[in-house]
Amino acid sequence: MIRFLLILSFFTLGSMLHGQRTLSLSGYVKDAASGETLIGASVICKETGKGVNANTFGYFVMNLPAGRYTISTSFIGYQEDIRTIDLQEDRKISIELKGEAIQVGEFEVVGERGEENTESTRMGTVDLDVQKLNTLPALLGEVDILKVIQFLPGVKSNGEGNSGFYVRGGGPDQNLILLDDATVYNASHLFGFFSVFNADAVKNIELIKGGMPANYGGRISSVLDINMKEGNERAFHGQGGIGLISSRLTLEGPIVKDRSSFIVSGRRTYVDVLTKPFVNPESQLSGSGYYFYDLNAKANYRLSEKDRVYLSGYFGRDVFDFAGANPGDPDFRIAWGNATVAARWNHVFGPKLFMNTTATFSDYSFAFNARQDQFAFKLFSGIKDIGLKMDLSHYPTARHSLKYGGQYIFHDYTTSTVDVSSGDTEFNIQDPPTLNAHEGALYVMDDFDLTDALRINAGVRLTTFHHVGPYTLYALDERGRAIGSREFSAGAPIASYTALEPRLSTRFRIDKNSSIKASFNRGQQYVHLASFSSIALPTDVWIPSSRNVRPQIGTQYSTGYFRDFKEHMFETSIELYYKDFDNLIEYAEGASPQDNGNTNYDAQLVFGTGYSYGAELFVKKALGRVNGWVGYTWSRTMREFPAINNGNEFASRWDRRHDLSVVLSYDHSKRWTFGATFVYATGQAVTLPVNRYFIEGRLVSEYTERNGYRMAPYHRLDLAATLRNKTTKQRTDPVTGETTTVEKRWKSSWTFSVYNAYNRANPYFIYFANDGDPAAGTFQVQAKQVSLFTILPSVTWNFKF
Amino acid sequence: MKRTLGAIVMMALMVSSCEKDIDVDLPTTAPKIVVEGSIETGAPPLVLLSRTQGFFDPTTVSSIASSFISDAVVTVDDGTTIHVLDRICSDLIPDSLLEEAAALIGIDAELLAQANICAWTKLDGSLLGMEGRTYRLNVATGGNTLSATTTLPNAVTLDSLWFRLAEQRPDDDTLGFIWGTITDPDTIGNAYRWFARRINAGADGEPKDDRFISPLFSVFEDKYVNGLTFDFFYNRGTAPYSTATDDNNEEVGYFKRGDTVLVKFATIGIDEYRFYESFSNNVSTQGDVFSNPANIRTNINGGLGIWAGLGVRIDTVICTP
Repeated sequence: MIRFLLILSFFTLGSMLHGQRTLSLSGYVKDAASGETLIGASVICKETGKGVNANTFGYFVMNLPAGRYTISTSFIGYQEDIRTIDLQEDRKISIELKGEAIQVGEFEVVGERGEENTESTRMGTVDLDVQKLNTLPALLGEVDILKVIQFLPGVKSNGEGNSGFYVRGGGPDQNLILLDDATVYNASHLFGFFSVFNADAVKNIELIKGGMPANYGGRISSVLDINMKEGNERAFHGQGGIGLISSRLTLEGPIVKDRSSFIVSGRRTYVDVLTKPFVNPESQLSGSGYYFYDLNAKANYRLSEKDRVYLSGYFGRDVFDFAGANPGDPDFRIAWGNATVAARWNHVFGPKLFMNTTATFSDYSFAFNARQDQFAFKLFSGIKDIGLKMDLSHYPTARHSLKYGGQYIFHDYTTSTVDVSSGDTEFNIQDPPTLNAHEGALYVMDDFDLTDALRINAGVRLTTFHHVGPYTLYALDERGRAIGSREFSAGAPIASYTALEPRLSTRFRIDKNSSIKASFNRGQQYVHLASFSSIALPTDVWIPSSRNVRPQIGTQYSTGYFRDFKEHMFETSIELYYKDFDNLIEYAEGASPQDNGNTNYDAQLVFGTGYSYGAELFVKKALGRVNGWVGYTWSRTMREFPAINNGNEFASRWDRRHDLSVVLSYDHSKRWTFGATFVYATGQAVTLPVNRYFIEGRLVSEYTERNGYRMAPYHRLDLAATLRNKTTKQRTDPVTGETTTVEKRWKSSWTFSVYNAYNRANPYFIYFANDGDPAAGTFQVQAKQVSLFTILPSVTWNFKF
Repeated sequence: MKRTLGAIVMMALMVSSCEKDIDVDLPTTAPKIVVEGSIETGAPPLVLLSRTQGFFDPTTVSSIASSFISDAVVTVDDGTTIHVLDRICSDLIPDSLLEEAAALIGIDAELLAQANICAWTKLDGSLLGMEGRTYRLNVATGGNTLSATTTLPNAVTLDSLWFRLAEQRPDDDTLGFIWGTITDPDTIGNAYRWFARRINAGADGEPKDDRFISPLFSVFEDKYVNGLTFDFFYNRGTAPYSTATDDNNEEVGYFKRGDTVLVKFATIGIDEYRFYESFSNNVSTQGDVFSNPANIRTNINGGLGIWAGLGVRIDTVICTP
C-alpha cells in the first residue's frame, strides 16, 4: 500500500513539475432565474476539448495555460452558454444558465451529461434530476425517488410497492444514504411503501453502485447522495400538490436577495382523516389510524465571494395507532422516524482549493407502546450520530483533480430498551446500556490523466472504529443465558478495528464516443442491520461492530464498455461485476426478539459470507421528445452461513436471475406528456415448508432449504399522463386595445397515473393454508399466493407559483 | 409484535390485495420421526410417535392416520429403573372409553374411532411423574433410535386465580379472561405453560371442553420476571380445527360468566419452553412474509418433537366477575 501511495504522489508531483505555468478558471454555475447552483453542469473548453463538471456546490475549476478560450457551459434543460475568456491570470467567473425557451419535456434524466458517460472514470453511477420525475407513473400518485432508482440496472426492489433497495447483491444496510451529507438510517415510511424523501425539496440524486470513490465510506454496497434544494435567491415561489393520500407544499425565496435564501417543504398523509368517517365505530378498526409527515428546511447565506454557509434539516415521523383486533390483543401506538441536521461551510482558499466542512447530526428512533388492561409494554430503539467531516478539492494542474479529507462520527445506539409492567409490578428487564462507538476516516484520491486516453482515479481510505464503554459483557451458558458479566466503564475500549481501503477506477478512451472502464474497491462497514423478519421493518435493529461482530467487508471488481451514439443522444453501457462479502450477519435460525434482553445484543447472531456477480446493460436516451432508458441485469447472489441451511450455500432473497426495466417519457405537446414504466424480474426466492406434522393436533411445518423456492416472476406496467394547464393568458390593454400574451404566475398540472395497468396478480407472499377437520375427512391444505396491488388508478394535482 | 406489524401493513393500506390458490412443486425428503411425549406430576408418561409427511400429501383420515407409528419399543429410565412402556392402540379401546382416551392423548375421539392410533404409557402405576426427577426416553422403531432427557420440575403454585370481564368489551358483562397471580422463585430458569378446560355443560349437555387446551403462546419464562410477583391472564384457547359454536362466533377467545374452568398450570424447563414457544410461532406464521420461517426447536436426538416433564397443579375457577 505504501508503494501505491508513492506511485500516486510520484504521478502527482511529476505532472506538477512539468511544463508551463497553468492558470485557473473557476467559478459557480447557476440557474439564472432562481440562483440555484447547478450540480454537475458541464464546462468545456472548445480549444482543448477538455471538460470539467461543477461539484455538489456548483463550483468548478479548469486549469489551462494562458490564452484565449471559448468556454461552453451546458446542462440539460438549459440553453448553452458560450463565452470567450482571455485568460492571462487566474480568473473567477459566474455563469448563469437560462432555462430553455421552449420547455420540451419536464422529464429528463441528466445522467452522464454530455461526454460524461465515456469521458469520466465513474462507473456504476447514475444521477437523477428529481424535479423532472413528476411525469412518471407513481403508486397512488406519490412520486418516489427511491422507486425510480429501482428501475436502474443492478438495483432491486424489496418486493411489491416497497421503496427499499438492494444494490448488486448487497443488503439493505449496505447503502449509504446521505441527505446533505447526514446519514439517513431508515429511508422509508409506512413499512417501506413510501420513501422519506419529499421530491419537491430534493434537487439532485446520485447513486454509486460500483467504483466507489475514496471520499465515501462506511457502507460497502452503494452510496445514494441526495442534495436538498437551496431555495430561490431572487424571488419568492411556491409549489405543491394534492394527491390521493397526501398533500405537499414547498415555499422558497430570498432572505437577502442574491445573498441568502431559504426553502421549507412539508408533506402529510391524510389516510387517517379520510377514512375515519367511513369506519364503523363498532368495528375493530375504529381505534386505528395512521399518518406520516415530513418537514424539510434549508437556508444558506453567502458571507463573501469565498464563503458560503448552509443549514439544512429533515424531520419525519410515522405514527400508527391500532386497536386490538382479537380477544386479549393490546391497543398500541408505534411511532418512528428520522431527524437530520447538516451545517455546511464552503470556503474557496484560492482558485485551486475548495473546501467543504460539514457538521451533521442524525437521529433515528422507534417506539412501540402497547397497553392491555393493567399491562403496559414499551419498546424503544434508536441511533444518534454526531459527525464532522472536511473535504478538500484541490486542482493543482490541468491533469490532476485531488480530493482529500477526513471524517469523524460518534455513534450512540440504543439496541432496544423494553419496559413491561403488570399493574404496579415492573418486570426486571435491564436497560441495555447505550452502545457508544467512535468512527474515523482519512482519505486521499486523485483523478488524473496518465495519457490522453487513460484516466485514473486512485485513492485510499483509512478507516477506524472503536466500540467503547459503558458496556456490560455477559458470559453465557450453553443455552445462551447470562451466567456472569463484566462491566466496562465509560470510554473503556471494548473492540477496535482499523483498515486501509483501496479504491481504483480507470478509463481508457478508445475514441471520441467510446471507452472501457475498470474499477476495484474494497470497503469496511462497521454498522449492521439485524432483522427478525424477511422484509425490512422499522423494528429492525442497527448494531455496531463488536468483539463478536466483525466489520462487514465488501470487495468489488467491475469493468464496462461505454459508448455514445448520435452526438450523445444515446448513451449505452455494459458493465460486469463480481462482488464478495465477508462477515455478514443474520439471526440464528429460530432466534426470537424476546431472547434479546438481559444479554449481549449480539448473542443471537450468526456469521457468514456471500458473493454476487452480474452483467448490466443500460441504454439511455436523454434528449428528444421520447426519452428514458432500458436497463437489463443478469445476476446471481448467494449467501453461505455455517449455522444456516446446514451450512449449504443458498440464494439471497434479492437474488434475481433476470431483471428488466423500461422507463419512457413522451412529450406529445406543450400540454401533454405521457410516461410509462415496465418491470420484469425473476421470482423472489422464498422459504416454504416441505413437510408437515401434527403437534397437539395442530398442523406444523418443517422447513428444509432456505430460500429454496421461487415465486412466480414479477412484471408490471404503469402508465401516466400529465396535462399542464395553459401557462399563458391574453391581456388586452384597456388604453390601446392591444392584445398581448403574458405568462401566468400560477401554473398547474394534472397527473393521471395507473399502477399495474394490466392488472397482473404479482406474488407478494405465499402461504400454506390449512382448514377443515382432520377427523371428519374435511381437512385440506392449500398453497395461496397473496398479491398486494391490483390495478390502481390515481390522480394528483400539482401547482407552482 | 411482528405478527401485529404484519396485520397492520395489510390494514393500513386498505389495499386492493387479492389471493389465489396456486400449485407449488415441493421437493420430496425422507420422513423424520416425531415424538410427542410428556410426563406430569403424579401421572404415567404418555408418548405418541408419528412421521412427517410431504406438505401436500393427501389429507384423508387414513392418510393422516397413517403418519402415526404403531410399531416401536419405548422405554423410560427414571434414574433407578428402565421401564418398558405399554402400547395401547385405539382399536382395542372400547368405544365407551374413547372420549376419555381422546382427552388423555389429545387426539380427536372421531379420529381414534376411525383409525388405529397407538400411544405408549405405563399402565401398572409403577412409573408416575415425581417432581425433581430426570427421565430419559428411548425410542426404537424401524431401525431408528431416538432419545431425549427431561427433568420434571418442582411445580410452582399460583397465588390466586380469578375471572375478570374483558376491558375491551365495555358494553358486555359476560365475557372475560382468567387471571392469575404468580410469585416466581428467585432462581433463574423457571418456565411455565398454561392449560384450561371448561367442565360445565354446553348447549348439547356435554362438558364444553373434552380436554385441556393450551392457547398458542401461553408459555413464558422468568428471564424478565425472576423473583417477581405479578398478575397475568390468558384468553381461552381453541381446540385445533374446532367447529364448536362458541369457537366460531364473538365468544371465541373468551371465558363466559358461569363457566367452571379447570386451570392446569405447569412448570417446565427451558428446553420445553423453547419448544412450545417455537411451536406457537410455527403455527401462527406459516408462510408469512413478516417473519423468518423457523423450525420448531426440539429436545429429541434423532428426530423432531418434545419429551417434556411438567410439574402441574390444577385449580378450579368459577367464572363470576
